[in-house]
Amino acid sequence: MAVYKRTYKVYDGPLTPTGSRFLVLSRYSAAAFFESRWFTVFSFLCLVPVFIGAFMIYLVHNASVQLLLGMSLKAKDLIGNVWFWGFLQSQAWLAFFMALWAVPGMMSRDFSNHALQLYLSRPLSRIEYLLGKVSAVVIALSCITWVPGLLLFGLQAQLEGNGWGRQNLWLMAAIFIGCVLWIAVVALLSMALSVWVKWRIAASGLMLAVFFVLPGFGEAASAILGTQWGKLLNVPYMMTLIWTRLFRLPEHFRHGWRYDDMPLWSAWASVLGVCLISLLLLNRRLRAREVERG
Amino acid sequence: MSSVIELENLVVKLGNRIILDRLNGSLTGQCIGLLGPNGSGKSTLLNTLLGFYPPFGGTARIFGGDLRGNIGLLRSSIGYMPESDAFIAEMSGIKFVRYMAEISGLPAREAMERAHEAFFYVGLGEVRYRKVGTYSLGMKQLVKLAQALVHGPRLLLLDEPTNGLDPEARQRMLQLVREIRDTRGVHIVISSHLLRDIEDCCDQVLILKQGRIAALCNLEEERKANRKFLELEIDRENGFVHAINELGCECASFNGGRLKIVLPENIAVRQLYQLAAEHTVQIRRMNYRRDSLEDIFLKAMEDKPEAREIASGRL
Repeated sequence: MAVYKRTYKVYDGPLTPTGSRFLVLSRYSAAAFFESRWFTVFSFLCLVPVFIGAFMIYLVHNASVQLLLGMSLKAKDLIGNVWFWGFLQSQAWLAFFMALWAVPGMMSRDFSNHALQLYLSRPLSRIEYLLGKVSAVVIALSCITWVPGLLLFGLQAQLEGNGWGRQNLWLMAAIFIGCVLWIAVVALLSMALSVWVKWRIAASGLMLAVFFVLPGFGEAASAILGTQWGKLLNVPYMMTLIWTRLFRLPEHFRHGWRYDDMPLWSAWASVLGVCLISLLLLNRRLRAREVERG
Repeated sequence: MSSVIELENLVVKLGNRIILDRLNGSLTGQCIGLLGPNGSGKSTLLNTLLGFYPPFGGTARIFGGDLRGNIGLLRSSIGYMPESDAFIAEMSGIKFVRYMAEISGLPAREAMERAHEAFFYVGLGEVRYRKVGTYSLGMKQLVKLAQALVHGPRLLLLDEPTNGLDPEARQRMLQLVREIRDTRGVHIVISSHLLRDIEDCCDQVLILKQGRIAALCNLEEERKANRKFLELEIDRENGFVHAINELGCECASFNGGRLKIVLPENIAVRQLYQLAAEHTVQIRRMNYRRDSLEDIFLKAMEDKPEAREIASGRL
């Protein structure tokens, strides 16, 4: 129908499959991230360690270049679980700052002007809304964490040969599980806090507080009570504890960094607890209408 | 006429409060008005029809589809314009409406085409590339209407569509609603506490009071019934009332020369003019009675047997 025919007409054309409509939210949210020039620049900066990592892997496998640079490096000594763990650490923190920038803005767009009721008055459930938003964050964070991590693993396996890839398949799983766990915590927590406070700056501040101030309270509580359990409030510590086990870091390494103070199950419980609380907060707030109890 | 919305013992509880209490009725009009004072349950009823609040008891059916278990399917044929501000301020108007169309299931190309059409239809074509946050209040109301229309729903729920509009913008909004109604392609439910808005647009009205149905009536029939009901203002009586009674009309006179006359089928208005001329009476004002909805509303708000008769449909 042409624009000049200004009359109301019921739409009777084709419809997209109901199961894939949450992807509309993902697409629009991801596009909104890149509307910010700063976010685009930061995204490219997040890939710098990946290029450096790729160059390192190339360097240790290329004797001619090493000779040219007057170096003598051995891949076996350099590229392994500790190297990939270090890479994951740097990318995880970059992902954290990316989420800190993007998620509160993404959620506050819908909440500051009550747009949520418009989404939910359409054939879109609360779960699909959440799925759409989470998937946008997960895709953005995956692009700078486990995806380049696995690409580097593949590059290393290819250049190393001799069945290195097959022998280190567990490392592939560690990269994937470690990153996905971190993404889940960061994405869910930042979304829950954003939905709860509905104000971008406050949500970012709260996120920083959970990751940097709360551990301080935890340490203070530990010191006062003479226990180690205050570390349960330290989400980054608990995540790193899980990573050290996933990446099978040597005992002396874990001991040196005091990553054997707490049992592994407590780390999993703490991290999964954060995810669960975030989901509960989202369930409470992701409603078209809020009901006042009385 | 088939039902647009059927209410069957519908009970809605929020917290411990009963907001809608055993609503029963069949809404069949092309444009249905929801009337009631603040807190009577108008918006709650709309929210329940959208599935935002689950029914505590009973149910409601939209185009025959039960709310329980079918809400996703039903929502695809509903367009909703909320009362409060609801938009994404950082998006351009056209992108916002297109986004909403895509969420409703339209493919990207069709969504873009319909978004443009909707913008021109509501009269915002010139500002469609501006960010919604920069729109005036009237524009924001219109963009809410555009997003409600864009996916071509069969039922349009408008919650206080003229809220906060100046008289000109209000007239424009009501004109749009009438135009949409007259296309016959969509049924409209308007929630408002402004009698005039409802009277201007609706052919059926549901009046709520404290969460219960106080009246459900067909305004078209009311209008037809009132067509023979006249209000007159004359300068002096001069035997005019007696003459009217002799003509076969029922007539009641009030202070200030006001008369209310029920005209039988066989008597034309012209005969009243002739009678006035014969009795040298000057008719200063004459109009068909216009306050029917106001009367119905006021009766419904009183807790009298008459109101209960209205509620049971015996008008």
